[in-house]
Amino acid sequence: MPPEKDYYTLLGVPRNATPEQLRRAYREAAQRLHPDKNVALGETELFLEIGQAYETLIDPASRETYDAQLSEFEAELSAESPFHVNVLHSRSALLRIDEPQVHYTLLEIRPAQDLPEIRPAVNLGIVIDRSTSMRGARMDQVRSAVLAILRDLQPTDSASVVAFDDRAEVIVSHDQARDVSTARARLSLLQAGGGTEIAQGLTLGLDELHRSYVKEGVNHLVLLTDGRTYGDEELCLELADQASNAGISINGVGIGSEWSDRLLDDLAARTGGNVIFLNTPKAVTDLLNRIYDDLAQIVAAQMRVDGGFSQYVDLRTAFRLVPEPMPLGDSLPMSLGNLPKDGFIRLLLELVIHPLLGLEEVTIANLNVSGTLLGKAAGDRQLPVPIKMDLTDDLDGKPPPEPISQALNLLSLYKLQEKARHEAELGQVAQAARRLESLATQLLAAGEKDLAKAALNEAVQLTHARRLSMEGEKTLKYGTRALLLSPPSEL
Amino acid sequence: MIECPTCKNREFVGTLFCSECGTRLVMATQVPTMGISRDKLSEEAKATRPTMSGTPDLSTGALLGLKVVTSGELLSLVGRDNYTLGRSIEGQAVIPDVDLDKYEAYDAGISRMHAELRIAEDGVYVVDLESSNGTLVNGKRLAAQEPEPINHGDILQLGRLRLQIIAQARG
Repeated sequence: MPPEKDYYTLLGVPRNATPEQLRRAYREAAQRLHPDKNVALGETELFLEIGQAYETLIDPASRETYDAQLSEFEAELSAESPFHVNVLHSRSALLRIDEPQVHYTLLEIRPAQDLPEIRPAVNLGIVIDRSTSMRGARMDQVRSAVLAILRDLQPTDSASVVAFDDRAEVIVSHDQARDVSTARARLSLLQAGGGTEIAQGLTLGLDELHRSYVKEGVNHLVLLTDGRTYGDEELCLELADQASNAGISINGVGIGSEWSDRLLDDLAARTGGNVIFLNTPKAVTDLLNRIYDDLAQIVAAQMRVDGGFSQYVDLRTAFRLVPEPMPLGDSLPMSLGNLPKDGFIRLLLELVIHPLLGLEEVTIANLNVSGTLLGKAAGDRQLPVPIKMDLTDDLDGKPPPEPISQALNLLSLYKLQEKARHEAELGQVAQAARRLESLATQLLAAGEKDLAKAALNEAVQLTHARRLSMEGEKTLKYGTRALLLSPPSEL
Repeated sequence: MIECPTCKNREFVGTLFCSECGTRLVMATQVPTMGISRDKLSEEAKATRPTMSGTPDLSTGALLGLKVVTSGELLSLVGRDNYTLGRSIEGQAVIPDVDLDKYEAYDAGISRMHAELRIAEDGVYVVDLESSNGTLVNGKRLAAQEPEPINHGDILQLGRLRLQIIAQARG
């Protein structure tokens, strides 16, 4: 039976901790988390769990049993893992101080060198918004982009096309996709008209994907929309969770400025996918081609991080930097999406470390990276990633490693934009405008003239109209996010 | 906590970019601001003491430097055994060796002849020259005209302006 939690990490003590160290860790947890104090949501549960960990480890007999289970479990996991993880820290050691501190950890996940060469079968579902607003150039571009994909479909692959307004319809089923002339005829029937109910489209699109589901390949859904869905947001997110559990990732493509970026972000993030903003439909052909090509380069799907953090550590934010920049929220598990053959996934964790006194070293987290290997050796694989830090009284004064400071620099621009938007929505117009101006200055310093201009325009727009323009919001959000796409420095 | 030099927003120690204004906080990281109690300040000087090898920024030949805490700017001291610190005003007859005027010295309460740094055989000393608002080393107020030994990494405060002592190993 695998142990449910790494109790050592939870308590924040080394594996060879003395009873004294265990008692100290437990006491510190009790002081911070005791239910008699006003504690945040979930902290009472954490405290109970820590109590359980302490009880187990303080008794020599139960500790011995637990240790045996834990080491057996971990040996199993690390044996021949197809994944390789590099860990980089903003500082070489944590400070032994009597106040909270921030620490950044960058994880880079690569496929192991000796993985067999494969080209996975791709099962692609395309879900198209055909609401009235798509009429004209948008629909024409989307139609020809989809046709181009179907024309070049590899024999091992399958595709399907679903369209929706306030109800959904299969336009090209996965059987019809093979026959280009049928597909062309069916696509020409695709006319715009009606409302936007994304959940309808997602439901049917996922059904079609399930019909041609490939166990050893990639199952992926692309959602193209230009409008806002009303009332079915919750259902959309539920569908995204179901898709994620079934091993299907979702890409959102927003055309124009009216679509709901928050819903699409949330939906895609749950499946490890990402969101692309197209302010003109012209780019849609290139985009679909790129998505299709990328899917054929994948060695493992459904990459995830779970595991746990030490009681001393709170995850404040997580952000995937590579391959597609995406905020990942602040809780485990996190869906990371697909692992490319010749590439890697990088994610940056921002951690708040509570006061650590009297310790020499601390295991801040015991993470577990997992994913589904594709091809012949298909199956779920994992790799435990323990993260240990030394403690020190003196900073060595070394600057943080370049990949971390570079990423944080760009992320700080993205976060300024988020903050300005939040303030604008709260009606704190002057504050938001000031922030946008300071964002513009920094964008200019970074050589991003167009984005800087967009930020300034929005600052002006704010003072006149008291709100941001929908296009400006998206330009700034996805523009600052895309800055992270600049070639990352080597670890 | 540390304080953003641009917008005075407070962040946890170790934060690299200010969440309010996006300013890079590496310099500020070196100086946790935890109130002005003496214990905290000497702890601060200890915790932020840069290593000897980490001081390549001093000009060639300089043994001693002063880092302006708020801006991170480094002033190299070259060629003398003693330096007066203060601020100049127009028409002043005696100008201090290190003129702090451009660091808003007047607002920070720095006297025209505020303090003196002396490089002696056995180390570096600071002497308060009967300044109006006093001189503090790691939060400890100095008696006027009494030399106080200072070391690499110490925080020297003139009025409200804070400077960190940067020393280069001899040879």
